Amino acid sequence: MRQLRRDASTSRGAKAPRFGRHDGSVWGKLARTSVGAGAMIQFLQSLVDGLMIGSAYALLALGFTLIFGVLRRLNLAYGSSILVGAFAGAAVFAQWKLGGWAVAAATLAAAVVAGIYVERLCFWAMRKGAAIASMVSSFAVWMQLEELLALLFPERTLSFPAVVERSVFVLGPFQFRTEYVAMFALAALLMAGLEWTMRATRFGLAVRAVTEHPEAARAMGVPVARIAFWAFVVASAIGGAAAYLMAAAEEQVTLHSGMQLTFTGLVAMMIGGIGSLRGAVLGGLMLGVVETLAQAHLGASGRELAAFGLLFLLLVLRPGGLLAQDFAARDAAALRRV
Amino acid sequence: MLEIADIVTAYGKIEALKGVSLKVEPGKITCLLGPNGAGKTTLMMTVAGILKPRRGSVRFEGRELASAAPRRIVESGIALVPENRLVFPNMTVAENLAAGAFTRSDSAGIAEDIARVYARFPRLQERSSQAAGTLSGGEQQMLAVARALMVRPKLLLMDEPSVGLAPLVVEEIFRIIRDLNRDGTTIFLVEQNAHMALQVAHYFYLLELGKVTFSGAPGQIAEDEVIQRAYLGSKK
Repeated sequence: MRQLRRDASTSRGAKAPRFGRHDGSVWGKLARTSVGAGAMIQFLQSLVDGLMIGSAYALLALGFTLIFGVLRRLNLAYGSSILVGAFAGAAVFAQWKLGGWAVAAATLAAAVVAGIYVERLCFWAMRKGAAIASMVSSFAVWMQLEELLALLFPERTLSFPAVVERSVFVLGPFQFRTEYVAMFALAALLMAGLEWTMRATRFGLAVRAVTEHPEAARAMGVPVARIAFWAFVVASAIGGAAAYLMAAAEEQVTLHSGMQLTFTGLVAMMIGGIGSLRGAVLGGLMLGVVETLAQAHLGASGRELAAFGLLFLLLVLRPGGLLAQDFAARDAAALRRV
Repeated sequence: MLEIADIVTAYGKIEALKGVSLKVEPGKITCLLGPNGAGKTTLMMTVAGILKPRRGSVRFEGRELASAAPRRIVESGIALVPENRLVFPNMTVAENLAAGAFTRSDSAGIAEDIARVYARFPRLQERSSQAAGTLSGGEQQMLAVARALMVRPKLLLMDEPSVGLAPLVVEEIFRIIRDLNRDGTTIFLVEQNAHMALQVAHYFYLLELGKVTFSGAPGQIAEDEVIQRAYLGSKK
């Protein structure tokens, strides 16, 4: 993932002299005539890049928030379980030189299997109300899965097939990188699919009911444990898709990106508001934009500084996240209206 | 219709119900009164299958339901209107009703029942695409009742439907309870508002500290004494 972001910064500004300020187009002339306009275009370019990277973050946050919503427990093994998926995809690629769908299928399948392992061990087996035990054991499983990958893949960094051939195309004053556009398009498609599932299917209805009031859902005959299991499976598949898209964009996968995946998903979820699916999308996109802007203006070290600064600021100003699920306040408001 | 015999339900070592026995007759409104902490909600949750009793039996139309899964209990014709309503606040009114019908798969029948509850509660129809969290307290209580009606229950368990509502709204809720009963639904009602409850109940039980201490028809003892004991427990 580090690689991915470094690439993002090289695609614009001074390191890509063929485009932007120095090219012969109308936009280039405009950029030359005023420094302000150039800065504006650079800002907008960062915005575009950030939204594209942010779409993958949004997927991670969606997986996190889906699990948290249904179980009210934090799954710290999330990043490492989907990393298992990415490594499985890379192994299929290395072994049989298969690309595209085969690698995507292997990534998703292995992420789901690892997710089920985490769910059975850290969540299903734990007693009700043992949220801390679940979190701590998911931390243990995180370490366990990473060590397992280190054992199986001593080289620690594997190459990954791209979704589309890397190139850059220009639209107006902006440059678009094909692998980002593909990532954004596929992520958007997945999010639309998830939104539809949550709105229009019986399963989605049950997941939302369990997220809002597990006791009431149980009283209506919703099998809460089974819904939690399937929500975990869906979240793992979404996480697997995010890992696939990110690995395909940077054409490699490394062992230490497990932690990055966990933190990115966690931060994006908390920015948007824990338990809110729209919040997760918003948080992911926002994190992508802020990171890209910080990278452009402050360099690599500024990126994480900005990400955690944003989280800190939001936690102080809006502790529940941007789209906080403040049921208690809403109930009180309803009582006042009577 | 519903026979509860010697039910013991415990939270860890603390027994909230210490051998409760009572009966709900078909077609009637049976009311359970008692002070805070008497175990009223625990009994409702036990009947609904959300809490598992340590011992005792819950028989509904002759079938044993103690420790049965909530789904089976719902399918046998018992629906719960939970304490504090617990409507799904970010889901629309229509989605709340659909969630109430989760155990059913006959979409034509579900659509018919949605039309039926809208006819009973026109205000819910007006707000069908509004998020349930934006409704007033009284409307939320109506929605909680409507949601429970989506499984066409023979027995409706209502856990403190009047709590937190303004007096006029409470009267409306009790009118709804009476209407539902007149239309053939048996009702088992837990209430703090003893005065209102005694007006609609055909029979009532007093629950104190996990035990039934009195039962009878309203009028069998002075309302003052019932209210005294329902709010404060017995004088000793």
